[in-house]
Amino acid sequence: MARIELCNLEKSFGAVKAVKNLSFTIEDGEFVVFVGPSGCGKTTTLRMIAGFEDPSAGEIRIDGRVVNDLEPRDRGLGMVFQSHALFPHKNVAQNIEFGLRMKSVPQADRVKRVREVADMVRISHLLEKMPNQCSGGEAQRVALARTLVTNPSTFLLDEPLSSLDAKLRRELRAECDRLHQTLKRTFIYVTHDQEEAMTLADRIVVMRSGEIVQVGSPMEIYSNPANYFVADFFGSPSMNLVAGEVVQNGTSTRFRSSWFDFALPERFKAATPGTATLGIRPEHVQVHVGTKGDIELPVRLVEPLGKDTLLYFDASNDRAFVAVTEGLGMADIKVGERVALSLDQHLTHLFDTEGRRVNTA
Amino acid sequence: MAMTKSRRRRITALVRYAVLSVWGVIAFFPIYWIVSTSFKLDTQWFAWPPYYFPSPPTFANYMNVWFGAEEYAQTQYAISSQKPLISLYNSTVIATTSTFLSVLFGSIIAYGVSRYRILSEVRMFQLLVLRMIPPIVIVAPLSLYYTAIGLIDTRLGLILVYFLTTLPYAVWMTKSFIDEVPREIEQAAEILGASRWRTVFEIVLPLIRSGLVATFLFILILTWSEYLLALIITKTQVTTLPIELSKYQGSTEGRVYGRQAALAVGITVPLMIVGLIIRRHLARGFSFGMVRR
Repeated sequence: MARIELCNLEKSFGAVKAVKNLSFTIEDGEFVVFVGPSGCGKTTTLRMIAGFEDPSAGEIRIDGRVVNDLEPRDRGLGMVFQSHALFPHKNVAQNIEFGLRMKSVPQADRVKRVREVADMVRISHLLEKMPNQCSGGEAQRVALARTLVTNPSTFLLDEPLSSLDAKLRRELRAECDRLHQTLKRTFIYVTHDQEEAMTLADRIVVMRSGEIVQVGSPMEIYSNPANYFVADFFGSPSMNLVAGEVVQNGTSTRFRSSWFDFALPERFKAATPGTATLGIRPEHVQVHVGTKGDIELPVRLVEPLGKDTLLYFDASNDRAFVAVTEGLGMADIKVGERVALSLDQHLTHLFDTEGRRVNTA
Repeated sequence: MAMTKSRRRRITALVRYAVLSVWGVIAFFPIYWIVSTSFKLDTQWFAWPPYYFPSPPTFANYMNVWFGAEEYAQTQYAISSQKPLISLYNSTVIATTSTFLSVLFGSIIAYGVSRYRILSEVRMFQLLVLRMIPPIVIVAPLSLYYTAIGLIDTRLGLILVYFLTTLPYAVWMTKSFIDEVPREIEQAAEILGASRWRTVFEIVLPLIRSGLVATFLFILILTWSEYLLALIITKTQVTTLPIELSKYQGSTEGRVYGRQAALAVGITVPLMIVGLIIRRHLARGFSFGMVRR
C-alpha cells in the first residue's frame, strides 16, 4: 500500500525555482507518469519523493505519514535510474542480491528471491555476468530486478528507457506495463517522451517550468489539451497549430489566418474576437484529391510510413501543416501538387492569446 | 625515382627507432652505471679506460655497506656498522606509516569534498598552494618547535611532518577518483537499504581501490626519498636511507663509489618491488577514467 501525497512542494536551487508549489496525490496502485520538457522539474520532484533532495517547502506524505525527514532507505521505495546505476564491481546476481543483504535476509532466501525476480524479468541467463558485459537493455532489466527484489511499495523510475534504442524501448515499455499489472504496486515514472507517457500511464502529469500544467488520463490529455503547450507536446506528429484571429461575422464565427478562412463550429460561438490559435490533429485533417475542401495547399513533403502516409503542406508560416492518411494511397502525390483539405469541425481546438483553451460553450 | 609509400613508412620507422634508441641510452646509462658500479671491485671504480662490466662481479660492496661484514670491514673503504640496516628500518616505518595516514585521511577528506563540498574550490586550491611553499622555508621554524616539544630526531616527528606535507596530494588525487564514481550508484545503494558507511565500504572503496593504490605508491615514493626535512629534523638518533646515502658523498672516507652505488641500488629496489606487486592497479589507477558507468 502506498498513497503518496505531495503538498505545496517547492524546491529551489539557489535563485532557481525548480519546483513551484506542487500539490498532487498519487493513489495506491496507480501508474502515474510525470512528463515534460527537460528542466521542467519532473526529475527533481521524483528525487524529492525518493529522499535524495530535501524540499525547500511543503510536505511529502506516504500513506499519511510525513516522510520529509526520513532517509531514502526508510521510505520503502524502489528506484530505477536513467543510467541503470548498477554496481560495476559486482556481478548481476550480487547486484540483485544487494538490497536483500542490506535487509539481512538469510542466504538461502536470498538465492531463492534472486532466482524468482531474474525469471520475472527474464535475465536468469545473465546472473554470473558482470554489468559491463550486459547490453543496455539487459542492464536496465537487471536494474529493474534489483529494485523488484526488495519488494518496494512504490517504484520510482527516472527516465529508465531514454538510453535505449527505439525497439528496446518499446520492448521494455511493455515490460514495465506487465510488471505494473502483475505487482499492482504504485509506479511513478518520469519521462520526456510523450509516447511513453501515453502508453504507460493511468494518469499523466504534464509539467512545465516547475508547475503542473495538466493532469489527466492519456485520452483526456490527448483529446482535450488544457493549453497550447500540452496540445503541442502530445502527439506525433504534433497538432497543427495555426495562428490567426477569431472574427464575429454577423451570425457566424470564423477563424481567419493569412492563408486560411474557416467557419468555426457552433460550440465556439461565444469565443471572444481577436488573436487566437486554431489547433487540429493531423489525423483529423481529410485529404481530397480533385474535390473542394476547406483549404487548398501545395504538398511540400510526402512520408510514406507503411501503415499510413504523412503529408506535409506548405503553409505561409514556418511550420508545415501536416495530414495523416491511412495506407499508402497518397504516397504517390507529387511534391508541389495542390491538394484540398477539410478539417473535422468537432475535433478542432481553439486557444486564446495566453495559450489557454477556449472552452466550448 | 619516387619512393613508394611502404618504403617511406619504413624509413620513418627506422629514424624514429634510431632517435628513441639514442634517447634510451642517454636516459638509462646512469642507472646502468650505478648498478654495474655496485658490483665492481674498488680498483675498477675510477679505472681508465672504464670497465663497462664488472669483472669479476663482486658482492663485496653490498656485504660491506649493508651488513658491515667482518672481512670487508677491515678494508680501506669500510665505513660501517650496520647503520644502513637501521636506516632501512627507519625509512620503512616512517614512509609507510606516514603514507598510510596520508591516504587514509586524504581519502576521507576527499570524500567529504566530493560528496558534501566540505571545502570550496578556493579552499581546495589553497590546500595545494600550501604544498607550493618550498620545504626549506618551514624547516627552520619547524625544527625550533620540534626541539621545544621533543619531537626533534624522532620517528614520530618525521611521520607527522610527512603525513601533513603529503596530505594535499592525497586529497587531490583521491578526490579525482571519487569524483569518477557516479552519485547515482551510491544513491542506488542507499535506496536499497545501505547506510552511508556501508555504501562507502561496499560500493565506493572497491571502485576506487586502484586509485587508492596508485595514490599510495605516489606518496610512498615522495616520503621514501625525502631528504631535506629528514636532514634537519632528524640528526643522529634517527636517520633515513637518503640521509645515509648522502653520508657517502664527500665524506671523509673519500669517493667510495662502489659502496654508494650498492646503497643506492638497495634503496631503489624496495620501491620497485612494491611497484611490481601492485602493477595491475597502477595501470588502471593512473589512467584515471576507471569506473565504467
